[in-house]
Amino acid sequence: MSSISLVFRRVVKSLILVSVLSIGIHVKAQNAPDANAAAEQSAAGAATGASAAQAVKGDANAGGAIFKQKCTACHAMDRTVVGPALKGVHERHDEAWLIKWIKNSQALVAAGDPAAVKVFNEYNKTVMTPFPELSDDDVRNILAYIQVEGDKPAAPAGGAQGAEGSTGAGQGSGEVSNFMLGGLIVVVIVALLVILVLNRVIKTLERLLLQKQGIVIEEEADEEGESAAAKIRRLSKNKKLVFFITILLIIFFGTWGWIAMWNTGVHQGYQPTQPIKYSHQLHAGTLKIDCQYCHSGAYKSKNASIPSLNVCMNCHNYVQATEKYNGEISPEIMKIYKALDYDPQTKQYGSNPKPIQWVRIHNLPDFAYFNHSQHVSVGGLACQKCHGPIQTMSEVYQYSPLTMKWCINCHRENNVNYKGNAYYDKVIAVHDQLKKGEKVTPAVLGGLECGKCHY
Amino acid sequence: MESNKKYWKGLDELQRTPEFAEKNKNEFAEELPLEEVLSESGLNTVTPRRDFLKTLGFGLGAVSLAACQTAPVHKSIPYLIKPEEVTPGVPNYYVSSYNGQSILVKTREGRPIKVEGNGTGLFGNHGTDATAQASVLDLYDVSKLKSPKLNGAETSWKELDAFVKGELNKVQASGKKIRIVSSTVTSPSAKSVIAEFISQYPNTTHVQADAVSYSGIIQANGSSFGKAVLPRYRFDRADVIVSFGADFLGTWIAGEEFTKQYVSNRNAQSLKKGKMSRHIQFEAGMSMTGTNADSRIAVKPSEMGLAVLALYNAVTGSQTGGAQIGNNTAADKAVKLAAKELQNARGRALVVAGSNDVAIQTVVNAINAALGSYGATIDLDNPFYTYSGNDASFNAFVDEMGRGEVGAVFFLNTNPAYTYFNSKAFSDALAKVPLKVSFADREDETASLCNVIATNANYLESWGDENAFEGYYTLIQPAINPVFSTRQAEQSLLIWSDNAQKNYYQYVKAYWEKNLLPAAGKTWKQLLQEGFVYTGEKPATAYTFGGNVAAASQAIATQSKALAKDIEVQLYESVAIRDGRHANNAFLQELPDPVSKVTWDNYAAVAPKFAEEQGIEEFDLIEIKGANGYTVVLPVLLQPGQAKGTISIAVGYGRTKTGKAGNGVGKNAYPFASVVNGTVQFLTTATISKTGGKMELAQTQTHHSYEGRTVIREASFKNYLKDPHTGNDKHQGEHKTYDLWPEHKQIGHSWVMAIDLNACTGCGSCVVACNVENNIPVVGKDEVRRRREMHWIRIDRYYSFNEGGKSVTEEKEIEKLDNFDDVSVVHQPMLCQHCDHAPCETVCPVIATMHSSDGLNHMAYNRCVGTRYCANNCPYKVRRFNWFNYWNDSRFDNYLNNEFSQLLLNPDVTTRSRGVMEKCTMCIQRIQGGRLQAKLEKRPLKDGEIQMACQQACTAGAIIFGDFNDPNSEVRKALGDERTYYVLQELNVQPGIGYQTKVRNTVEA
Repeated sequence: MSSISLVFRRVVKSLILVSVLSIGIHVKAQNAPDANAAAEQSAAGAATGASAAQAVKGDANAGGAIFKQKCTACHAMDRTVVGPALKGVHERHDEAWLIKWIKNSQALVAAGDPAAVKVFNEYNKTVMTPFPELSDDDVRNILAYIQVEGDKPAAPAGGAQGAEGSTGAGQGSGEVSNFMLGGLIVVVIVALLVILVLNRVIKTLERLLLQKQGIVIEEEADEEGESAAAKIRRLSKNKKLVFFITILLIIFFGTWGWIAMWNTGVHQGYQPTQPIKYSHQLHAGTLKIDCQYCHSGAYKSKNASIPSLNVCMNCHNYVQATEKYNGEISPEIMKIYKALDYDPQTKQYGSNPKPIQWVRIHNLPDFAYFNHSQHVSVGGLACQKCHGPIQTMSEVYQYSPLTMKWCINCHRENNVNYKGNAYYDKVIAVHDQLKKGEKVTPAVLGGLECGKCHY
Repeated sequence: MESNKKYWKGLDELQRTPEFAEKNKNEFAEELPLEEVLSESGLNTVTPRRDFLKTLGFGLGAVSLAACQTAPVHKSIPYLIKPEEVTPGVPNYYVSSYNGQSILVKTREGRPIKVEGNGTGLFGNHGTDATAQASVLDLYDVSKLKSPKLNGAETSWKELDAFVKGELNKVQASGKKIRIVSSTVTSPSAKSVIAEFISQYPNTTHVQADAVSYSGIIQANGSSFGKAVLPRYRFDRADVIVSFGADFLGTWIAGEEFTKQYVSNRNAQSLKKGKMSRHIQFEAGMSMTGTNADSRIAVKPSEMGLAVLALYNAVTGSQTGGAQIGNNTAADKAVKLAAKELQNARGRALVVAGSNDVAIQTVVNAINAALGSYGATIDLDNPFYTYSGNDASFNAFVDEMGRGEVGAVFFLNTNPAYTYFNSKAFSDALAKVPLKVSFADREDETASLCNVIATNANYLESWGDENAFEGYYTLIQPAINPVFSTRQAEQSLLIWSDNAQKNYYQYVKAYWEKNLLPAAGKTWKQLLQEGFVYTGEKPATAYTFGGNVAAASQAIATQSKALAKDIEVQLYESVAIRDGRHANNAFLQELPDPVSKVTWDNYAAVAPKFAEEQGIEEFDLIEIKGANGYTVVLPVLLQPGQAKGTISIAVGYGRTKTGKAGNGVGKNAYPFASVVNGTVQFLTTATISKTGGKMELAQTQTHHSYEGRTVIREASFKNYLKDPHTGNDKHQGEHKTYDLWPEHKQIGHSWVMAIDLNACTGCGSCVVACNVENNIPVVGKDEVRRRREMHWIRIDRYYSFNEGGKSVTEEKEIEKLDNFDDVSVVHQPMLCQHCDHAPCETVCPVIATMHSSDGLNHMAYNRCVGTRYCANNCPYKVRRFNWFNYWNDSRFDNYLNNEFSQLLLNPDVTTRSRGVMEKCTMCIQRIQGGRLQAKLEKRPLKDGEIQMACQQACTAGAIIFGDFNDPNSEVRKALGDERTYYVLQELNVQPGIGYQTKVRNTVEA
């Protein structure tokens, strides 16, 4: 009895130590982002305060969304891209003129408006895309956004924006999980304290009991003096304890081994460092670029294919994210230019290109044949079905286990997308005759046979 | 009845020698070390406990380490700037040309991986020969030179150009001769380049000479009709074909085109119409064409001319020369019969001869003229241009060099140091030439004698064109940038002759746009898509025979007497290696000969009876001493059907400088040849002596035994006309069948195949096509000897006896026979039969081989543990076992396993590793690909859309694949044919591949 309580006490002691340590570390770690968030909030507050003081017509936020979607390909705030820098545009032209210009600049030019002709000639007679779909209010919103953005001091604004971009989405969920974690830790601490107190009570009661029985209590002095090795030796003679620990160890290692073996070669969550910090969150999430704009192979080939750099250059010819890097071209975008040996100043391609070596994330073994077009074009599956919430990944990781079990489950559970596909007409007709009403999964059409994927 | 006919694969099987029985008892060639293990010493060997623990510990450690690893880092490198037409994972096809035939080159991610016939090409259907299928491998041949060479050292093109131009100007100034020596050049653009080179250096002459020459025919036509051309023979228009040693389905002139023509009169469609041509073959050695003949008569080379004369006499009724064909009574009889049949088919008859003797060809011309073949089955107005080499001009060139008159020589696509019969005279003479330039892609026998090697590009890296016959122009366009530092010979010539146009692509384009495209009404872009231009046939003009038969008969008699003295040696081209230019192609080296089934060697083929007389046995090494004193030591192969007293030897072997795979394979037979009557003739007399040694040839035919079960069904054309089921009904209704297996319901597709034995000529194109498509490794001579070749499809060749037109049926009768001359042959392509009740599936302990819902027998390599039970249980013996990790084992580096030839691998097919069973998958990657294409386009699958590699390569169209559930499919119609039977159908394994009986147009005596 006493020995068990002894063991219990030891365990509790070490547990408390560990938990105290971990809480300490955690609090330290928590402090940093909290401070960040606080600073940011105050900055944002200041910004809105400032803009409110200027009394801008229109909604700068709504305008910002349209601006990012439609304007950034050719315009920046304080730098000429294709079209002019837009900072202070509301001072250069009046609003009515700007609305006309944005909706259809060529009409203005054709009408012989002197300001319009001047701008047109100034920019090498490059025709600005007309935006007849924008309402007057939309244009006002854009102008409001330009006004607000343009008034921000360049450098700090860029820094803040960068931080905003990366933490904005993550913040909410981060707070929740931190809160839960904190709560848990509190609960654990309370529980430990209770155990400690109870332990103390047991000890006192035990002593009282013994005292009542008239046994003189030996103080734990000798115990304290006992060396660690001797303690272990004494404990190791306790057969029950040894048995208990052995069982625990067997269970632990058995489970670990079992899980490890099943997961050999399964790389779910694999997230290698890529040569370019390309963010799907930005491109697919915020900018909503269609997956197949870059991964054009996905609907016609077995390979979804990593886009070649000429696809990147379709946008990054102009989009250089300079506003986030003090007017410098983003270092990540520079990597594209470097690989292509492209000089952004002269817009000339050199003769020494070096391909970018991406690290493959999804590795199927050679003996498994997988075809993207079968699943994307024929099956009509969304990319996210296998690749997960790719639009939220700033760095891509392997979402699915890519095990055969995973493949087969999907083939068993989901219907074949045969509607409107004449290929399946006959097959489905025969199938219906044979198995009335049963759902048509790839599995019943032979999709589980070895040779469908292994050849 | 034909169905009782006895078929045998080899003499061993026929005679049931104890060795053969013993050898074939087991599925695999190697002995199990059972005795050893069970004997006392075996039982006493112990694995020491420590060793056991070490292994165990290492194993556990390795597994744990493997488990610890994070994901392996694979780099993925996209295009920098992706070409618009390339989608990774989707093949691109480019039209090109090989041997004058329009082809399609399949490329994946920029590397050519397969060659197909151009389906829209002139000959309508698909199909290529084996050499075209294997030609992709040559592109990645590591034995090729990686950069040009100058005086034995690697150099740059700039230095080389400067050197050659300087030397050329010196030669031009000195007034010495310049010679461009080549095999036949059919390319109009290249001819134009050479003409312009000649105008720059007027001392130049272009000498064309082919290793295997047709100048006999050309000269004979010149003297007979005043038109020295190689006429276009039309086997499709011939009802009676008599061939004197011409292997026209294999190597003679244009085997591929002739096969299409020939088969069109013998295939299922033709039989349905009640029409079948009759083919009589007189020849010494058994050729592939001979195996397809309805009647085949063995004649010695010395008797060949006499037989032609006899036929001439019988057809025309004249009495020129001797009436007797030596002592060959069978030939006498056959010639008379043939003459009668030919006369009955006037205007639909065709006589051809493989000889390069002007005299024989003159008499053949006389026969054809007498039969009215000109303008009907022989077209002199639209001739072949594929062989226009002239033996006499080459001999004159060697003399010129010997006299020191030649200052510079260029060798283009030719290798006379190896192929010229008197190679010593050639190399001695060549040594006197100051500037020797070779355009070889490797340092071959001739190139190594040259001081400049201007490495030529492979045809898949080149621009160019070809003109196989009158009016048919095909375009060669590159499918890849040069793999090594090579440059097209034409481009080199343009540069060296300071041509205004130094870019050969521009040159070809300009040439076509000026000379060929306007007439055809096509643009260059259209041409790049279509690949050929055909300007149509020129109308036939009448020809009268003006040759001198009397003089020819004199020459024939002299030649016959000269040959009849000793043992006669006949040289021939083998179907795979041809004149030796494919010697370093491992696919072709391992392609079994259509008749002997020998791989990786040439041999001395002799008649079994003759060998017995001479006291030699199979695989004995004999020394053959030719009339000119050349000796060679070769192993003996007993060849049924070989004329007695003759030896047949394939040329093209014994290369010394062709590369890793081909060096030292076989022996060179070219030096046996000699010039007779002004042309090179592949005949000689010889004496033989035993050397005492033995060398086992790597044959594939003896590997498997059906234990005497009949797998071949055959009928005579006469009986077929009476009852199309003839020869096909033996097992019907004999067995009551009990199913051990559940019935398979094939609700979607049901993939099946039909193979027409009457169309199959046994050429082996399908075998190579399958190898290339399915990443099948080449295993080499030793492994083939151990019966370990990996071919998924093989062509089984079965012999049976004929005796006086009757088939020999009873076993007893066979023993009485001593006449191995008169055998007939059936070729049967054999591949996995995809049985519905597959015996292999039942015995697999790990369920690695399974049945699919669309009638295929799947094989999951990653599940296979290599028990080989399935191979043991397969009645068709089509499963192959990977004894090595062929794609990653240095022992197989010579063949395909190196970083270049691995580029040939089809990325849609797994390479199998050691210890795994494999077999025909019915090109499942093509089935899946075809289905996906239909699904993507949201349409039903079209019949014929999915083609098997073997089917696509089959020139004869013998293989049809399709969906049995489609009531209108070609394959369903073919399987509904009366001739259809299933091999070993009495076993009730319900094979998915149906065969159609062989029909032979025999004349019952």
